[in-house]
Amino acid sequence: MTSSRTENGAGAPTETALADVTMPQMGVSVAEGTVVAWKVAVGDPVVAEETVCEISSDKIDSDVPAPVSGVLAEVLVAVGETVEVGTVLARIAPGGGDRELRQSSAPRGRQTDAAPGASGRVSPVVARIAAEHHVDLSQVHGTGRDGRVRKQDVLAFIEALAAAPTAEPAAPAAEPPLHIESPYIPEPAPAPAAPSAPAAAAAPTTLSRMRRQIGEHMKRSLETAATCTTWMEADMGRVEAARRRLGTTALPLVARATVEALREFPALNATLDGERYEQHAAVHLGIAVSLGDEEGLIVPVVRDAHELSVEGLARRVKELARRARAGELTPDEVRGATFTITNPGQYGSIMATPVINQPQVAILDLEAVVKRPIVVSDDEGNDMIAIRPQTILGLSWDHRALDGALAARFLGAIRARLERWEG
Amino acid sequence: MPTLTYLQAISDGLREEMRADERVFVMGEDVGVFGGAFKVTDGFVDEFGADRVMDTPLAESGIVGTAVGAAVVGMRPVCEMQFADFIACGFDQLVNVAGKMHYRQGLAVPITVRLPSGGGFSGGPFHSQNPEAWFMHAPGLKVVAPSTPEDAKGLLTKAIRDPNPVVYLEHKHLYRRIKGEVAAGSYETDFTARIAREGTDLTVVAYGAMVHTALEATAPEQLDGASVEVLDLRSLVPLDEAAILASVRKTSKVVVLDEANATCAAGAQVAALIAEHGFEDLDGPVVRVAAPDVPIPFSPPLEQAVLPGVDRVKEACRDLLAY
Repeated sequence: MTSSRTENGAGAPTETALADVTMPQMGVSVAEGTVVAWKVAVGDPVVAEETVCEISSDKIDSDVPAPVSGVLAEVLVAVGETVEVGTVLARIAPGGGDRELRQSSAPRGRQTDAAPGASGRVSPVVARIAAEHHVDLSQVHGTGRDGRVRKQDVLAFIEALAAAPTAEPAAPAAEPPLHIESPYIPEPAPAPAAPSAPAAAAAPTTLSRMRRQIGEHMKRSLETAATCTTWMEADMGRVEAARRRLGTTALPLVARATVEALREFPALNATLDGERYEQHAAVHLGIAVSLGDEEGLIVPVVRDAHELSVEGLARRVKELARRARAGELTPDEVRGATFTITNPGQYGSIMATPVINQPQVAILDLEAVVKRPIVVSDDEGNDMIAIRPQTILGLSWDHRALDGALAARFLGAIRARLERWEG
Repeated sequence: MPTLTYLQAISDGLREEMRADERVFVMGEDVGVFGGAFKVTDGFVDEFGADRVMDTPLAESGIVGTAVGAAVVGMRPVCEMQFADFIACGFDQLVNVAGKMHYRQGLAVPITVRLPSGGGFSGGPFHSQNPEAWFMHAPGLKVVAPSTPEDAKGLLTKAIRDPNPVVYLEHKHLYRRIKGEVAAGSYETDFTARIAREGTDLTVVAYGAMVHTALEATAPEQLDGASVEVLDLRSLVPLDEAAILASVRKTSKVVVLDEANATCAAGAQVAALIAEHGFEDLDGPVVRVAAPDVPIPFSPPLEQAVLPGVDRVKEACRDLLAY
């Protein structure tokens, strides 16, 4: 190494002996490129085809390989500089006494640098697929032995990435849903159906600050998350009986069932901020509260909801709703939720596609409980039609953070708790 | 289509070829009046006469040597070894004479040597072996090993018509145990692999009796619904490398199954092929299941412990699936 450097520095071989490394043509319409990083320092040996530097254009990123083996003699373009295609970026002095040394000491398989899963080992097929799809394996959750990233893991990761952009258009446009917290406000007077209202009443107005904030928040959620909605029917017979005994609505019971299900499926008690996905030990439950058609909507947070009984949840929700409507909430009381429940079913709606409260990964929608004829089985397995109070539980979830099977299992866990409610 | 046993399908294929081609004749120990140790040629002497169904002395070297001589003058002999194990006595004639004849003298040697092989019925160390690897290692020979009645007939027909010496391994444990529909009349089965069951999560490569072991061990209900592909090689020389590598590309995990002793078995060749040409498709180590390098015991419980069984295959698959 030392001898080579001395030779190179002192000898400064004739200009003709140097090989040029030039800015390559990265695409038909691309005339220039920017040097992003130098991978070899002046004086270091370099092997033919080894990456000398990384470059970028507005359309593509790529590596510049060394045209010959040798020692990097000069660097002519600094990082961040943009130059035309064909510009000489660096020069290589051919030869280089310690080429073999470098070849043997610097393995070319770069995948070994990645440390996916606990084991850090990557199988050949996973390394190849990751390279082909430019996947950073440290982002992929491994399900193999000792957390090893398996082929199916990296394929699922790629599929989820591919699904994300197509999932967005499927989500409904950002008409903010009407959230209401049914038991604690009086039955609203029927909205006066006034299609023939005077022209003056229809005069355009500017949206209130809260409406603008809600709109912004909802739009951002739909643009950020790969929102999917999963529905599941639930028999609310036992819950209805229990809530009558307790003198509450179904909401605190559903909240309790949800908290228990979140403890079973912590993947949904989580936040996803950019690429940072975090599961939370404590359940801080957001409860959407309507402030009335004009005012808008706010989501106060029941902190440490996992520590509360049904009665405790009922009391806390009631208090938060009252404070919300009285305008007494502090900023801390509307922050830090790990999961949200919305409950707009009072007006008879049976299904909705709620918008996820960012940066959470899912939101549960509780709709009207309706009596329906359904097929039930007795203990002996005989089927019959019965009149049961049914509801449709809706879960909007972020396909970036989880998949439909998990969402369905989570929703199924809530349903199971509701249908087998005891107490 | 008639349903035949594996053994009946072999008889059927042989009979069809003897009826269709006068050059085809059978030689072996007790193949004539007795109809063969396993009755493959039962009734043949009545139909074709003693000139075409020839009883021989207990001399495998003589059987194969005579067949080579007949073949180079235009006949299509089919030799029966009473047990595959006995081919050791005819090794020189098969490996050195038949296998190298075309290379040395440009003469075709269209002989078929039938080897009743395999264990599973307390035959002991002289009557249970799977010697296919010996012949895979000898240039000039083809080696095939059917697992189904349909292939048993088609591969035998193809072997008899092939201008090269072909070693035809018929698994004794399949003879009367395995039945299947076999087309009447004459047909050939190419010396290529076949997918015995399609799958996506893992491939088991097998041949002969082990195909059935693989299918049983990897039925979806056995492995929590995992989708396992079973590739039946059918031919060991030539080896259908494209089919093996295509399956590896699909599933990325492979268990290679041999009934033979592990060292240098056919499965070792398959594993080497995958290591060399399928490396970038692998999502786990290539796992081999084979008999340990010991003689096949006579004692039934010991034999069951030595031969790869459903449980061992299942365990290997389960382990690799979880990798």
